[in-house]
Amino acid sequence: MPQPVSYRGMTLLVPDNDSEWAEYFAHARAHTLMMRACTACGLMRYPPTHACPWCMDLGWRWQEVSGRGTIHSYEIVAHAIQPGFKELTPYPVVLVELDEQRGRPTPDEALRIIANLVKDDLSPEAEARVAIGARVKVVFQDLADHFALPQFTLGGEPPVGRVWRLGG
Amino acid sequence: MSHLRDKYCIVGVGETEYSRGSNRSTRAMAVEAVRKAILDAGLTAADVDGMMDYQSGDSTLAPHVAPDLGIRLNFYMDVVGGGSSTEALVGLAMGAIEAGMCRTVAIYRSMNGYSEFRIGGTGARAAQPVRGLDLAQVPFGMRSAGQNFALTFMRHMYDYGTTSEQVAHVKVAHSKHASQNPKALLKERVTVQDVVGSRWIVKPLHLLDCCLETDNATCIIVTSAERARNCRQRPVYIMGVAGRVSKPRLDFHWAHGPISRVAGYYAKDIVFGQAGIGPDDVHVTGSYDAFTFTTMLQLEEYGFCKKGEGGAYVSSGVIELGGRRPNNTAGGHLCEGYTHGMSMVIENVRQLRGRVDDYCPGAAEGQHTYDYSVGRCRQVKDAEITMNLGWAMPPLGSALIMRR
Ligand SMILES: [Zn+2]
Repeated sequence: MPQPVSYRGMTLLVPDNDSEWAEYFAHARAHTLMMRACTACGLMRYPPTHACPWCMDLGWRWQEVSGRGTIHSYEIVAHAIQPGFKELTPYPVVLVELDEQRGRPTPDEALRIIANLVKDDLSPEAEARVAIGARVKVVFQDLADHFALPQFTLGGEPPVGRVWRLGG
Repeated sequence: MSHLRDKYCIVGVGETEYSRGSNRSTRAMAVEAVRKAILDAGLTAADVDGMMDYQSGDSTLAPHVAPDLGIRLNFYMDVVGGGSSTEALVGLAMGAIEAGMCRTVAIYRSMNGYSEFRIGGTGARAAQPVRGLDLAQVPFGMRSAGQNFALTFMRHMYDYGTTSEQVAHVKVAHSKHASQNPKALLKERVTVQDVVGSRWIVKPLHLLDCCLETDNATCIIVTSAERARNCRQRPVYIMGVAGRVSKPRLDFHWAHGPISRVAGYYAKDIVFGQAGIGPDDVHVTGSYDAFTFTTMLQLEEYGFCKKGEGGAYVSSGVIELGGRRPNNTAGGHLCEGYTHGMSMVIENVRQLRGRVDDYCPGAAEGQHTYDYSVGRCRQVKDAEITMNLGWAMPPLGSALIMRR
């Protein structure tokens, strides 16, 4: 049983029998972003669950994705709830839509994941640079031998669609 | 139209003081609220044989509350849940009675949501270990309700051009209503400028876009229309109910867009279908206001305006007392106090009775002035049909339509 991970005053528990998340975060520690893909219909899904939500098949395999995507929505936390995050405020939380499988199997569906938008040194990105439509790429924040958090940085690519930020 | 339409009633309502420091147990508060509701209905302990409640590890259970009042139960159910439970439990109470398991059900919620288990996520809740699905968001500093919902609100602003000033009108309207409510925690009327000038909590939410953590207990009593005719109050009939209707992927709803869509999109046909009416027939709404945005999103999703036009709708004056369809006439969670949805149903019951507990000297006898200036009346004249829009999260909601 791996040790609990301490991060910003939180205890993150990923026991070996966490059959949804243990391997996902172990892959992240190897700096690969993996989605579960259905072996019957081929569609990837997130979160990493045990049946395909589109065909109900139980077969799955890990499939690496590029880690590139677009900010679909965001928020700026000014008042942190968790004590360990107070020193980071204001910090952005982003909903990233990955490039793979956008608009499939229906136009409104996509692989979307939550992370912080960070600078290269993993500190919070400046609010003025956060926007819906901005391009991002995954980076990994190593927290333990078996655990890393997938985070995102601005990708340096031109934005996709309309770029918008609150008050901007 | 449902075969149960108008066959069940809410006959009693009760609540404790709305406070930020009850200095007593959730058991003590629940007992007071249930007792008040029983007396309000003109019933006795022997008439109540069913009990339901909801909680999230933060409250007392029905097997403790019932015997304190001398109630012997034929049915009870302690449910895990928060917002959107109220309407769902009203429907389940009808089902339990219809199944012959019991005759009359008291539904309660009791919470020291300010002084003990902070509902906003600070204190004991923030210290809990993070595991399972929580790993997908909590390690990124996303734990409170506001942090969980803000992505939806922000995307709505992007999709439809909704502004902070527009949704601030929800707080303005509810503060106007609270100024007519002796029970309300915040009775002072605020302006749009007050809201958008208050400090940021999590953009796009300001402090005054957020509801008030509160210590309080509430109770609603459901029974058959037949028994309701012998109760003390004018019966309030249940026309339609939808409970805990969800978007696809309830655990991680962002997978299925549009993310600015909320559960009312799926619930509206169920509840309006049962009731046999549409939005235009509703005189008063009670739309869950954990945040200003939640009220706006639900009103548009249930068809009170077109999808995307919620900002214009809530800032048009229509949701204020004196407007065409007032919302949360007691001040709601933004101003009266937070009850996980119960108080909005209680208020609508009182509206339909014509007996809201405002400052009118004859309120208890149904004598109202309909003067909506500060410190006066909040009764809606001739309110015949009300609707509650219950919210738990963007992907989860419940609804209830009642008539007098
Ligand atoms: Zn499949």
